[in-house]
Amino acid sequence: MTSLEIRDLGVNFNNRQILTKLNLTIQAGAFAAILGPSGCGKTTLLRTIAGLITPAEGTIRFGKQLVSVSSLVLPPHKRNIGYVPQEGGLFPHLTVAENVGFALGKKLPRDERQSTIESMLTLVGLSGFQKRLPHELSGGQQTRIALARALAMKPAMVLLDEPFAALDQALRAGISEEVVALLKSTNTTTVMVTHDREDALVSADLIALMRGGTVVQSGTPAEVYLKPISADVAESTGDVVTIPAMRSSDGRYFSVLNHGDIRTSDGESGELLVRPEEIRISDNPASSQVMAKISRINYYGHDALLELEFAGMPKTVRARVAGAMNFEVGQTVFVQHEGPIRWVSVKATHE
Amino acid sequence: MAPQGFRRRIIVALTSLITLSGTLVGCSSPSSEGETLTVYSGRSEEFISPFIEKFTSETGISFDLRYGDSAALAAQLLEEGANSPADLFLSQDAGSLGAASSANLFAQLPTEILSRIDEKYRSPSSDWIGVTGRVRVFAYAPDRVSSLPKTIDDLTTPQWKGRLGIAPTNGSFQSFVTALIQSRGEAAAEKWLTTIKENDPVLYEKNSQIMEAIDNGQIDIGLVNHYYLWEVAEELGRDINVKIDFFQAGDIGNLTNVSGAAILATSKKQSAARKFVEFLLRDDVQKSFVADTHEYSLVIPTLWPEGLPALKDVKSPAVDLASLADLRRTQALLVKVGLI
Amino acid sequence: MLWLGTTLSLTFVAIPLFYLARRALDSESQTLTAVVLRRKTLEIFLTTISLAALVVAVATILGVALAWILHNVALPFPNLCRALIILPIAIPSYVFTFCWISLFPSLQGFWAAVFVLVLSTTPFVTLAALAALRRVDWSQHEVAQTLGLNTTATFFQVTLPQIRNSVAAGSLLVALYVLSDFGAVSLLGVDTFTRAISNLYRGSFDRSTAAVLALILVAISGMIISIESGARSRTKVVKSSSRIINNSNLDRELKSRSIAFVLISIYVFLGLVFPISLLLVRFFSNAATIDYTSLLGATLSTIIASSLGALFALLLALPLGILVQQGSTFARLADKGVLIVHALPGIVMGLALVAFGSEFAWLYQTLGLLAFAYALLFMAKSVGAVRTSLSRVPQNLVDISATLGQTRSQTFRKVVLPLSAPGIFSGTLLVFLAAMKELPATLMLHPTGFETLATEMWTYTSIFRFSEAAPYALALILVAAVPTFLINRPDKNVGSDGDPS
Repeated sequence: MTSLEIRDLGVNFNNRQILTKLNLTIQAGAFAAILGPSGCGKTTLLRTIAGLITPAEGTIRFGKQLVSVSSLVLPPHKRNIGYVPQEGGLFPHLTVAENVGFALGKKLPRDERQSTIESMLTLVGLSGFQKRLPHELSGGQQTRIALARALAMKPAMVLLDEPFAALDQALRAGISEEVVALLKSTNTTTVMVTHDREDALVSADLIALMRGGTVVQSGTPAEVYLKPISADVAESTGDVVTIPAMRSSDGRYFSVLNHGDIRTSDGESGELLVRPEEIRISDNPASSQVMAKISRINYYGHDALLELEFAGMPKTVRARVAGAMNFEVGQTVFVQHEGPIRWVSVKATHE
Repeated sequence: MAPQGFRRRIIVALTSLITLSGTLVGCSSPSSEGETLTVYSGRSEEFISPFIEKFTSETGISFDLRYGDSAALAAQLLEEGANSPADLFLSQDAGSLGAASSANLFAQLPTEILSRIDEKYRSPSSDWIGVTGRVRVFAYAPDRVSSLPKTIDDLTTPQWKGRLGIAPTNGSFQSFVTALIQSRGEAAAEKWLTTIKENDPVLYEKNSQIMEAIDNGQIDIGLVNHYYLWEVAEELGRDINVKIDFFQAGDIGNLTNVSGAAILATSKKQSAARKFVEFLLRDDVQKSFVADTHEYSLVIPTLWPEGLPALKDVKSPAVDLASLADLRRTQALLVKVGLI
Repeated sequence: MLWLGTTLSLTFVAIPLFYLARRALDSESQTLTAVVLRRKTLEIFLTTISLAALVVAVATILGVALAWILHNVALPFPNLCRALIILPIAIPSYVFTFCWISLFPSLQGFWAAVFVLVLSTTPFVTLAALAALRRVDWSQHEVAQTLGLNTTATFFQVTLPQIRNSVAAGSLLVALYVLSDFGAVSLLGVDTFTRAISNLYRGSFDRSTAAVLALILVAISGMIISIESGARSRTKVVKSSSRIINNSNLDRELKSRSIAFVLISIYVFLGLVFPISLLLVRFFSNAATIDYTSLLGATLSTIIASSLGALFALLLALPLGILVQQGSTFARLADKGVLIVHALPGIVMGLALVAFGSEFAWLYQTLGLLAFAYALLFMAKSVGAVRTSLSRVPQNLVDISATLGQTRSQTFRKVVLPLSAPGIFSGTLLVFLAAMKELPATLMLHPTGFETLATEMWTYTSIFRFSEAAPYALALILVAAVPTFLINRPDKNVGSDGDPS
C-alpha cells in the first residue's frame, strides 16, 4: 500500500483552469473522501491521479515514486492503480471472470489466474458469478465486480468515482458499508470522490473539501465537521445556520443567541456558524433567557428540525431536536447555544 | 448476438473469403481438353449459341463470349488496343469492322478464307470478312400505318411526329448514317438528322426493342435490319403485328450491309480462330443462316430468305462497305445533333 | 501502419477521379464546352433533376408516413410489418421495372420511372424516420396533447422538428440513388445522365463526351453528398440514455388502424408482393426449361464478387475509419475524398475503371477489378460504419482498460475492437448488399464469361425474354434479402454502457 502526495497540481482543459494549486496528502492505507459540489473538479483530480489526464504543473508521488512532474507523466497502464468510475464500467463483452481477470495478463499461469479471480469474487461476496455477463447484474453487483477487478491486480491504491451514486437509496447504505469495510480490511489506500457528505463522513479517515479546483480544507471528519474554515466548507459538511453577530474589541461575541445587543458600536460585524444540533431548546424558562417562537416543525422521525423566529432577526434559525418531542408551532421556547464559537467576519464570509 | 460468438463467425467468414480470393485475377471458365476462344460478339446470344454449340461439339474448342453492341465492342477493342483479351470479333455491321480495321487491330486472313467471299463484301486490306448480308428496311404496324414512306426524307414530315423509332447507338444505324454522309455530304446529313430529331423520334438501344415497340403500340414505324422481323417473333414466341418494306429504289434507306468476323492480330489462338471463321463460311452453316435467321448468305448467292428479293436485286445505292469505317465522324454528328 | 493504410486507400480512391478527368480532357476544350452547353445536355439535366426531385418528394412523404404508422399505430404482427416495409430495399430498381414491364410492356417514360423509383427508395426514408422516432422523447408528445394539440398538429410542431435531420439524411440517400440509377431509366426510356452516359459510351468511340457528362453528374452528386454529410454532422449521435420514454401508448382506434392497414397493404403489395409473385409465377411456369447450372453459376459469381468487394471495402476503410475517429486532420481530408468517390454513380465508376484497367493488362476485366470497383463505390458506407462503431465505444471503458495495465494496442485489441465489431460487420454487410444490386459498373467491368445475376437478368430483359430473366431476378432478391434482413433486425436494447448491437 502506498501513500499519495500531491503538490501544487494545476490542470487546464480547453483553456480553462480546472485545478489550481491543489495540495493533498493521504497516508498509506487510509481511506480518503474528496467532497465537493459538482463542477469543482473532483473527477478531474481523480483522473489526473490515474494518469488519464496530463497536468500542466505540479507533482504527484505514489510513496517515494514520482509519478507526475508538470507535464511529464507516467502513463496510466504503468501506474498500478485501480480505477472504478461512476458506472462501474464493466466490459460488456466479457464475462464476470474475464472482467475480473482482465489485468492479470498472460504472464500468470492459468490456475493462479483462476484462483485469484475466485478469491476476488469471494472477497466481494459474489463467488459463483464467474460466467455471468455484466448486463445480467444489478447496479450494486456491478459496482462490486468493478471493485474486484480493480483489486485483482493488487494495486498501490484504489480510486473510486462516486461509486454509489447510481444505486437505489435502499441499497446504498448496505453496499457502501460493505465496500468501505472491504477496502479498509485490506488496508488499501483509497481515494473516493463523492458529493454526498454523509458517505464521506461515515467512511473516510480523511476528508478533503474541494471548491473551485482546489482543496480548501482537509482533515478527519470530526475536524472538518466541527472546525470548518469558512461558511462554504461548513455547508459542505453539514447543516449550518448563519447568525449575524458582533465581536467586540475585547473578544466577546454578541448575537441573538446570547441575547446580546448586536448594535454595539465598537465591534466588528460578522457571522456565527452554528450547527442546528448545537441550539438547545426547552420549555423550561429557567434554562435560558433567550426566547424564540417556533414557526415551523419539520419532522423526520428520528429527529426534527424546528424553525425558530428570534426578535431582531429576519431569517429563521433551525434547531435540531431528538425524536420524541412535545413542541408545537407557535410555542415560545427557551434557547441555549451549546457548541464552539465559529466566527467569520463579514469580509471573510462566502469566499 | 453476443460479441464473443461473433468473433468466431468473423474468423470463419474471413477465412472463406480469403480462400475465395484465389480467384482474384483472371477468372475464366475452366477449359476442357481444347482451347478457349474469347469472342466479342455484336450478334446476340440467341442468334449465336446454336452455332457455337455446334462448333464446340465438332472441335472441342470452347468459348468465352462477351456480348454487346457492335459499335460499343469496336470502341472497347480500340480502347483495349494491344492489351485486348479478345481473339475474335463478330460484328453486326461493316462500319464497326472497318473502324477497328483502320486501327490495325486485325490479323490478315488467309486466301482460302478470303476467296469464299466476293471482294465487295470484305475488307480491302483483307483483314475482315462478311459472313451474312442484311438490308436496312423500315418496319411498320400494318393496321396503324396507311401511307408508307417512299424516301427517308418522308420521315421528316409532321405526320410521323412522335411515331418513329430509331436506335442511334446501334452499329447498323450508324452505318446507315455514315452512308448518308457519304452520299449527301455532311451538311445535308446533319440537316436530315436535325429535322428527324425535331420530329420527336423515340430512341431505343436495340433493333429488337424497336420491333417490340411497334408490336405493342408505342411507335408505328422504325428503322431496322430486315431479319429482325423473324428474330423478334422467335424471341417472343409468337407472331408480331409488324411488317417490313423497302424505301423506293436507290434510296439510301435501303442500305445493304454485312455482318462479319475478324481475328485480332494480338490473339494467341490464330489457328483456332481461323477454324471458327471457316466454320461460319461453310455451306451448311450458311444454309442455316438463311433458313433459321432469314439473313442473306454471302457464300451462296443463290440462297436468300423467302419473301425477299435477292441481294443483288435489292434496290439500294452502291456503297463501298469499307468506306463505312469512318464511324467517328458519324458519331460526332449524332452527338452534336443530340441523338446520342 | 495506420498512416500507410490510409494513404494507400486514398491513392486508390483517387484513381477513378484521375482517369475520369483525364478522359474528359482528352478532347479539345472546344468540344468540351460544346458538349456542356448543347441543348441536349440541358434536356438531360432537367430530366434528371426533376426526376430526382419528384421521387424524393413522394418517397419522403410516404416513408415518413409509414414510419409513423409503424411507430405509433397498434399493428398486428408489428415486427412482420416492419420487415415487409423494409424488404423492398433488397429489390433493385431494375427488377421492379422488369416486373412491371413484363406485364405491361408499353410502360414507358418519366412517370413510370417515378413510380418505380419511389417503390425502390421509400425504405431509405422509412428506416431513417423510424430510427429518429425511436430517439424522440415521447413524453413531449404527450404533454403537447394535454396542451390541446391534436395529433396532426403535434406531429408538425413537436415531432417533425426533431426527426427532420434524420429524415433529410434519408431523403438525400434517395436523391443519390435516383441520380445513379441506370437500370430503371434505361428500361423505361428516360433520358437521364446515366442513360446518356451509357449511350455515349456505347455508341461513340470518343468517350470523352461521356466523361464530361460523367463529371457533371459527379458534381451534382457531390453537392448532394456534402449536404448530406453536413446534415449528418449536425445531428449529434445521441448517447442513449435509459430515460428516453418510448411510445407505449399505441394508437388503437379503428380508424387509424384501418388507414394504416390500407396504406401498408398497398405499399407492401406494390413493392413486395406483386414483384415477387410475378417472378415466382414466371419461374414455376418455366421451371422445366431453366438452365439451372447457369443460374447457380451466376448466383455463386454474384456472391463471390460482392463478398470480395465488401472485403476490399473493409480493408480500405479500416485504417481510414480509425484515423478519422481519432480526429486526425489528414484523415478528415481523406474522408472527404472518400465521400466524393461515393458520389460516383456506378456507370461513371465503370467508365473510369475501364480506362484505368485497360492500361494494365493483368488487371483488365478481372474479378479483382470488379471487386475493386465495388469497394470504391461503397467504401463510404464502410468508413461510416467503422467510424460510428468506434465512437460508440465508451471512452470510460478505454480509460479503465488503461488503468488495468493495458497498453494502447492491447486496449484496442481487447476492448475497442470486440465492442465495435458488430457495427463494422453491419457496415460490411451494407457494402455486400449494395454490390449485389449494382448493375452498370458490373456490366462494364465483369470478366468475359463471368456473369452475375444482375448481368444475366439484364441481358435477358433487354431482349424481352422475360421468362428467362425471371429466375435470375428472383435469385437476386432472395440472396439480397439475407443481408437486408440481418442489417435491419429490430434493435436490441442498448445497455447503459452504450453497447450497440
